[in-house]
Amino acid sequence: MSGIFSKAMARNIFYGGTVFFFLLFLALVYDTEQVLPTRDNREALTPEVIAGKKIWETRNCIGCHSLLGEGAYFAPELGNVYPRRGPEFIKAWMMSQPTGAPGRRQMPNFHLSDTELDNLVAFLKYTSGINTSNWPPNIEG
Amino acid sequence: MNTATTAALSVAPAITVERRLAGDLAIWIFILAELLAFGVFFAAYAFTRANHIELFDAEQVALHRDAGALNTVLLLTASYFVVRAVQAAERLASAASARWLLAAMVCGAGFVIVKLFEYSAAFEQGVSLSSSPFHMFYLSLTFFHFMHVILGMVILGAMWFGARAGRYRPGDMNGLETGAAYWHMVDLVWLILFPLVYVIH
Amino acid sequence: MQYKSQAVAMPYFIAAIGLFVGQIIFGLIMGMQYVVGDFLFPEIPFNVARMVHTNLLIVWLLFGFMGAAYYMVPEESETELYSTKLAWILFWVFLAAGALTILGYLFVPYATLAEMTGNDLLATMGREFLEQPLPTKIGIVVVALAFLFNITMTVLKGRKTAISVVLLLGLWGLAIFFLFSFYNPHNLVRDKLYWWFVVHLWVEGVWELILAALLAFVLIKVTGVDREVIEKWLYVIITLALVTGIIGTGHHFFWIGTPEYWQWWGSIFSALEPVPFFAMTVFAFNMVNRRKREHPNKAAVLWALGTGVMAFLGAGVWGFLHTLAPVNYYTHGSQITAAHGHMAFYGAYVMVVITIISYAMPLLRGRAANSEKAQVLEMWSFWLMTIAMVFITLFLTAAGILQVWLQRVSDTPMSFMAAQDQVVLFYWMREWAGVVFFIGLLTYLASFFVKGETKAVAN
Repeated sequence: MSGIFSKAMARNIFYGGTVFFFLLFLALVYDTEQVLPTRDNREALTPEVIAGKKIWETRNCIGCHSLLGEGAYFAPELGNVYPRRGPEFIKAWMMSQPTGAPGRRQMPNFHLSDTELDNLVAFLKYTSGINTSNWPPNIEG
Repeated sequence: MNTATTAALSVAPAITVERRLAGDLAIWIFILAELLAFGVFFAAYAFTRANHIELFDAEQVALHRDAGALNTVLLLTASYFVVRAVQAAERLASAASARWLLAAMVCGAGFVIVKLFEYSAAFEQGVSLSSSPFHMFYLSLTFFHFMHVILGMVILGAMWFGARAGRYRPGDMNGLETGAAYWHMVDLVWLILFPLVYVIH
Repeated sequence: MQYKSQAVAMPYFIAAIGLFVGQIIFGLIMGMQYVVGDFLFPEIPFNVARMVHTNLLIVWLLFGFMGAAYYMVPEESETELYSTKLAWILFWVFLAAGALTILGYLFVPYATLAEMTGNDLLATMGREFLEQPLPTKIGIVVVALAFLFNITMTVLKGRKTAISVVLLLGLWGLAIFFLFSFYNPHNLVRDKLYWWFVVHLWVEGVWELILAALLAFVLIKVTGVDREVIEKWLYVIITLALVTGIIGTGHHFFWIGTPEYWQWWGSIFSALEPVPFFAMTVFAFNMVNRRKREHPNKAAVLWALGTGVMAFLGAGVWGFLHTLAPVNYYTHGSQITAAHGHMAFYGAYVMVVITIISYAMPLLRGRAANSEKAQVLEMWSFWLMTIAMVFITLFLTAAGILQVWLQRVSDTPMSFMAAQDQVVLFYWMREWAGVVFFIGLLTYLASFFVKGETKAVAN
């Protein structure tokens, strides 16, 4: 069996296919944006949560921990740490770092003020309220 | 790859007369990839349906089966017109070929209009990608296919221009046959999609 | 080397290799911290080491891509570079910005760095892989645009080939999608959604165009197969890559608060993502088998073939392993992800950059290929690094399976740290494999300094 295989046609199909699938992707992202209000816990986005997110970012927490499964895998998942540990434990934990236990993984002390700790906890509480389709499989994350 | 080699290296054009692949090899690779994507999607539908038979059956009844049937007729007719367009070009009847392509595009436009009515009715009833597993598959599959129809019409439009310019003639049918192959694929997918999603209980 | 201006690729390649060495050193530090938790604490906490490790990777790959473009485009366009001077200026700007950023990570507390660099004006820092301070991010955009201007002008004034057009599309896409790194909504779900527009649409989108263009260029040169044949397969492969990869973004939208239909869309399309990588492997081997000449640079041919195989294994097979939503429900954010990430980046992007360096460097140094002795050493480095990476991946996969089992599947799930303690043996083995990788890298460096008889450039 023989036939034609031309570069011009391969090129046209590349451009056509790419545009097609990119438009399809944008359509799905558009629909996602419409559905998100019912899932992303945006009603809980208080100024404290927003300040907490900034603390999360400027301490580079994602460099060791994962949040909703994304980040580094060196330290526990924190998307559900609020229900797992509760607010007081989280604050006490942050203040008592580093443990200094020889040979164990160490977390720096970020010297956060009480307000900053409260904001961070508010952010983690908001995060735990996001509808993640039941991920993680159990409370251990 | 063999086909490419033979095409590139064939010295004797006589060999190519028998069993020639209609349309460009590149489109056949693309068509296979598309059929693979649809195939996996259909399999996922069947798998999910097996786990939610009652829900699927109940929601399937609410679909506009007549609109689906009408669209089947429209797509089949369009495919027939495309075949006639290719045959016309083989006879060196460029003007006739262009007319057949225009007729196919009219049928395609009919499909799009019917589908838009169907969608607007569905959206009014609160059907969305997130409203139920059946609705997810119904909308995903039909919308994915719907976009293919639109792309198919863009390609038919390009072929229509080509035919009017007299670009296709025996021995130089690649552009026309390639587009035709794609359109037939769009038709073929619908012929599986329609019974699967609208009819089979 | 046919055009004088191609020479500007050399500093880019040297910088790339230098930063690569830095990346691996920090990788070894992190691997050590996985087993001896307080190693180098508090001087280099894990998060800092990781930031340096991943950012160096991105920066040196970008150096590699830019060097490749400066080498390839004049030859493809059959004309001198639009501006060699601009290329030199950008080299120093980019190197200085990169070095300053890394030094900032290492010597300034991250929160202070954020404050110093205007993160309060526009908060973009502290998100995985996008940790760069605002001035660095802006610098990347400026350098990328000036670089693209230089390359685009060169292509416009010369011959336009499929390879240079695909390369340009990939590089433009790289710059455009990076702009999403400036968008950081307070809403975490939307933050993550658009974060993937940079990360996924880079590595499983536009970077694949660059990868394919680099590979196609080297294959044309070393096999002598007709350009027409290689370029049309180039188009077919990148079509398959984008058709599967764009919607494949959905495999990141399973558990981050995005709607559940992504579990279907993402699973179905990413299940097809191995197809283009498989096609690329078959393509590379086919072209080499149909070669019309015996190119003296055997090392470059080895790297090119290796890219095909390892990209297929790392991105294709290891990606498929955990991409289906029901599987990913358990493996998401575990060491399985790390295993896949390592082999995919090495197999696809590290190897393709080394392929072009391996091909171009001898020519830039005025010979068709390195001496037999140097090539043998380079091939040793290929096998050392590649086999070490296979083992790193296998050990991380083993650690990941065990972790998932103990922490997520079991009826009595262990806590994260308890599960980590159980898999420590695999982390030790991973670290040793990392040491072998580093030895391979040193061997690679050494191969540049081996003397011996070389052939002059044929033409």
